[in-house]
Amino acid sequence: MGKKLLMKGNEALAEAMILAGCDAYFGYPITPQSEVLEYLAIHATKRTGMVVLQAESEVSAINMIYGAAGAGKRVMTTSSSPGVSLMQEGISYMAGAEIPCLLANVNRGGPGLGTIQPAQGDYFQSVKGGGHGDYRLLVLAPYSVQEMVDFVKLGFELAEKYRNPVMLLADGAIGQMMEKVELFPQQERIDRKFPWATTGKPKNGERRFITSLHFESELFEKVNIRLQEKYKKMEEEEVRYQTTNIEDAEYIFTGFGLGSRICAKAMQLGREKGYKIGLVRPQTLFPFPKNIYAELAPKIKGILDVEMNAGQMVEDVRLAVEGKTRVEFYGRMGGMIASPEEILDHFEKKFIK
Amino acid sequence: MRSLINDVIEAPANSTIGGNVKDYKVDIDVRWCSGCGGYSILAQSQRVMASLGIPREKFVFISGIGCSSRFPYYINVYGMHTMHGRALPIASGLKVARPDLSIWVATGDGDSLSIGGNHFIHTARRNVDLNVLMFNNAIYGMTKGQYSPTSLKGQLTKSSPLGVLDDPFNPAALAIGAGASFVARCYDRDPQMMQKIFERAAKHVGFAFVEVYTNCVIFNDGAFDLFTKKETRKEHTVELQHGKPLVFGNNDDKGVKLDGVTPVVVSLNDGSHSIDDLLVYNENDTSLAFIMANMTYNSNLPRPMGVFQVLSRQSYNQRVVEQLKYYESLPGANDLDKLLLGEDSWEIE
Repeated sequence: MGKKLLMKGNEALAEAMILAGCDAYFGYPITPQSEVLEYLAIHATKRTGMVVLQAESEVSAINMIYGAAGAGKRVMTTSSSPGVSLMQEGISYMAGAEIPCLLANVNRGGPGLGTIQPAQGDYFQSVKGGGHGDYRLLVLAPYSVQEMVDFVKLGFELAEKYRNPVMLLADGAIGQMMEKVELFPQQERIDRKFPWATTGKPKNGERRFITSLHFESELFEKVNIRLQEKYKKMEEEEVRYQTTNIEDAEYIFTGFGLGSRICAKAMQLGREKGYKIGLVRPQTLFPFPKNIYAELAPKIKGILDVEMNAGQMVEDVRLAVEGKTRVEFYGRMGGMIASPEEILDHFEKKFIK
Repeated sequence: MRSLINDVIEAPANSTIGGNVKDYKVDIDVRWCSGCGGYSILAQSQRVMASLGIPREKFVFISGIGCSSRFPYYINVYGMHTMHGRALPIASGLKVARPDLSIWVATGDGDSLSIGGNHFIHTARRNVDLNVLMFNNAIYGMTKGQYSPTSLKGQLTKSSPLGVLDDPFNPAALAIGAGASFVARCYDRDPQMMQKIFERAAKHVGFAFVEVYTNCVIFNDGAFDLFTKKETRKEHTVELQHGKPLVFGNNDDKGVKLDGVTPVVVSLNDGSHSIDDLLVYNENDTSLAFIMANMTYNSNLPRPMGVFQVLSRQSYNQRVVEQLKYYESLPGANDLDKLLLGEDSWEIE
């Protein structure tokens, strides 16, 4: 068992990066996640020799990631919504070139400059592909400071397993709040000896070359098909979610990250009033845990999806249930966070009264 | 051919020209920290704008992101608060669409030199007719104290607890190198110099860049004290004045002369040099301006303040008009209707 500490979400994320044997971090200050850069600047280089570099912009940071990850290094960047928008070009190129890396978006309210307060409006951007072309990110949605730590470790493993960028989609509240967290033991920074990494041409070895450009359409279609097969494999093997009280549930509350956490409290309040409510909480947003919704749909009276946006994941929930149960949505925007009481109130209005 | 845009541009002003300083003030709380250098820049901008003889509705203030970029909220003219680093392209777009407007940009060292560095050099190169006020506080204030592209090497900040590794940008030298046609530097503690320079920037046709040393009381307090405080500034700065020798020092007892192309400090007291030996400044000489700009960060030399260079170059929007005129003057020009509506279309041979 690792050390137990009381930590802020952003700092726990940074600590996990050091513990995971991350080789380099490239970032640019933006609220509400500048603590990641600041924490790493103090601790990382001294402890593991990890490179911590403040780039001149998010565009620069993501391309530094591309360069270092292309050399087979374990690298990560973090940002918040407007900064992540700037990174989309690099993310698409890395997905195309099949370069593993870990990204985190400490989501704030948008569109535009929006607000520095927490929101979940970047679900579509993260899950459906914010950059151009047919690609997917593996998207993990932490709902606690503990998962900020756990998903860094998992995220690196998945990124390297699939040679694909992995996105950790948190939000401003998870980034800023303090909770008890258990850390994992320090991992060594090692040479992972990836057969694709550009580490200099070995004697008699083959020249390695990284690109996402393909001139011949016949061949490029084959590359695309291979990418799609990879995403399909993720859908078969990497779905992660948690359920609570679904055995006797007549209704399901669902949401991701902070939204699901408030749902859990709303479920408890509802149970106290006699409503048989269960909770489904996706931990991976892509691949989306559609099967659990499909299994539950014929057995329940309805689903209430709660998000801190205008309704994004709810589209995937509706696709998953294929019309077999009613799906209602409750969302707050602009940095507002729903209270458990207002969620229960909305539930009663939609399903009970 | 008249267009809607012409009607807008040529509409008579519906306010008295310029107005009073108080017309430029807004009735909201200015959310800069108490003691921030931004207050002085705001006050001088308001004074200068009221005095330019330009109708208030012709002014626009555009900003990016950062403490400096809160500026448009605090001045009662049209404004846009836009993306981090992108104020200059947005201002460029507005200027070519509405050349009649007096367009000002409030930006910072991070906004304009870090994420907006690319736009900065290209807007200068294009010589878009804008007035750019760059609040240089050598720190990221809004995100609470990380180093910026003008933070000094070795500086301890939240993101450089072991010291900054990078060398800082030299904003004046960068602007001169990129072809900015007006380049100046002043500081928050000298309202008179600031007013003088803002006024000249406003009247300059082309890209006018003004770096303002701006004290950040919270995250980089005193960074420019040596050059801005009454007790030390006479000894550590020299004001560039067109046609005048470079004299400085507490008792005007020192000067800067050129040894080849190298500026050196000489004493006017010890009998070795007289005022006639000093460099007489010429703001229309870009080579001289570059030499002066490179005195920045040289601790053996005084820090130049004032106007580095004023070059007479056509602005981008003037070139657009000229190019249109040229093509309109060619035979067959202005005949688009005939081309589109004529009975015969063109022939392909």
